[in-house]
Amino acid sequence: MKYAYFPGCSQESTAEEYNRSLRAVARRLGTMELEPIPDWNCCGATPAATVHPLLLYALAARNLAIAEEMGLDVVAPCAACYKNMNKASHALNDDPELLDRVNATLNGHRLRHAPKVRHPLDVVVHDVGLDNVPVSRPLRGLKVASYYGCLITRPEGGFDDPERPQSMDRLMEALGAEPVDWPYKTRCCGGAIYMTTEEISFRMSADILAYAKAAGANVVAVGCPFCQLLLDLYQDRLEALKNMTFNLPVLFFTQLMGLAMGLDRSELGLEKLVVSPFALLAETIDRPGEEMPKKSRPPAPKLKRWGEAEQ
Amino acid sequence: MAEARTVHLVQTAVAMGLIEEQVSLCYQCGTCTGACPVAAAGGMDYTPRAIMRMIQAGLEEEVLSSQTIWTCASCYLCTVRCPRGIQITEVMTQLRNLALAKGYKARKGQVYNQGFIDIVRRHGRMYEPELVVRYHLLTNPLNFIGLAPVGLKMIAKRKLRLLPDHPPGRPEIRRLFERLKESERRKEQGE
Repeated sequence: MKYAYFPGCSQESTAEEYNRSLRAVARRLGTMELEPIPDWNCCGATPAATVHPLLLYALAARNLAIAEEMGLDVVAPCAACYKNMNKASHALNDDPELLDRVNATLNGHRLRHAPKVRHPLDVVVHDVGLDNVPVSRPLRGLKVASYYGCLITRPEGGFDDPERPQSMDRLMEALGAEPVDWPYKTRCCGGAIYMTTEEISFRMSADILAYAKAAGANVVAVGCPFCQLLLDLYQDRLEALKNMTFNLPVLFFTQLMGLAMGLDRSELGLEKLVVSPFALLAETIDRPGEEMPKKSRPPAPKLKRWGEAEQ
Repeated sequence: MAEARTVHLVQTAVAMGLIEEQVSLCYQCGTCTGACPVAAAGGMDYTPRAIMRMIQAGLEEEVLSSQTIWTCASCYLCTVRCPRGIQITEVMTQLRNLALAKGYKARKGQVYNQGFIDIVRRHGRMYEPELVVRYHLLTNPLNFIGLAPVGLKMIAKRKLRLLPDHPPGRPEIRRLFERLKESERRKEQGE
């Protein structure tokens, strides 16, 4: 399948390794072709809605219109972009008056029917399929706390449970890692308020790492650039706050996929993580020794989309 | 000046309607407060449940000058859990709009929001260094001392872009912002 790829602002700065690893993984998979949206603009993140009620829809509509011209559904890796554009896509298709008002602000583009907006985790689990991820280097020894954050599954993500999601855990299992069961999977890290009330967002993030640690995780997997930034860049501050040692590398789920798929590590941007994962990798997946006997794993269960059972 | 005022009038009407309709459903079970991670971390002066009740009781000034409406992190956990289906996160957003429209003192949150959107208007995309510098200059320049270690770490890890992106669609984005203002003004005069 081919998708219109909306990288978003953070993919070229703070989360460049997310962009790099996702594109490397997509190239190897072959079934997830990412065609960049040319000349995309910022989604407006959380501030847009407070500055003008139509702004969020207008900014999203311009990107959606370009994707519509490409004839493709959109893939947005940043959780905030994904949530904004997904919300706008639904609203613009449901409300013709809103669509007209927003179209009147566009110039050079016109949106007729907004394409679907997807998160890459959704695409990997539901379109590519867990059985079709080629694992050449199982992530043995990695105990992964899958941290979805707030905006991948809320409010209208529609591909997994808003509070107890499973898709990333099942993906980690398919990669040969051991997902840990923990309660803070979708607890907010405070990313949206960390510029303005740093101490509050640090308390929120510190709780998340404390729970991951208590559940026995040795690595955290994320799918949002803000979560990654707070949990990784500020981990020393969070440790000081809790008076604990976390030493938890925080990797994008695409970096873990790349490791398991045996991709060239220069394509995964592991050196950009502040809490280095190399010591952990050396004593787990890179540890020389007898090859683990190939476990005959039962085929991965077909995951239902959230809400499918009710239909 | 007149332009800014008309935009705000429309916003006020939209915001009022949404808030009143939503909040009338609240039966004060407190699920939102139990769910809220910001309240749990001590970041709110009134809990979300209290805000709902204060709106029902008409305590407009207390609500609109509260810290809570600006520290809501928009994580939607309250919205997902609310047994009455109230879009609490949207209500918080609308309260922020209303507070600005009615001239309440802008909290730090608005300095950040305005700075963020202004960068998007001019560059079409985010340019983080400018946002950080602008925000701290306008709030507390002494913060720069504390920022240095993190800034250096980010530069060492090449996590900062040094120059803004210049997407070719920038003029389109600026016109989009102008047209948004214009359409609000016409709506105010014509309808």
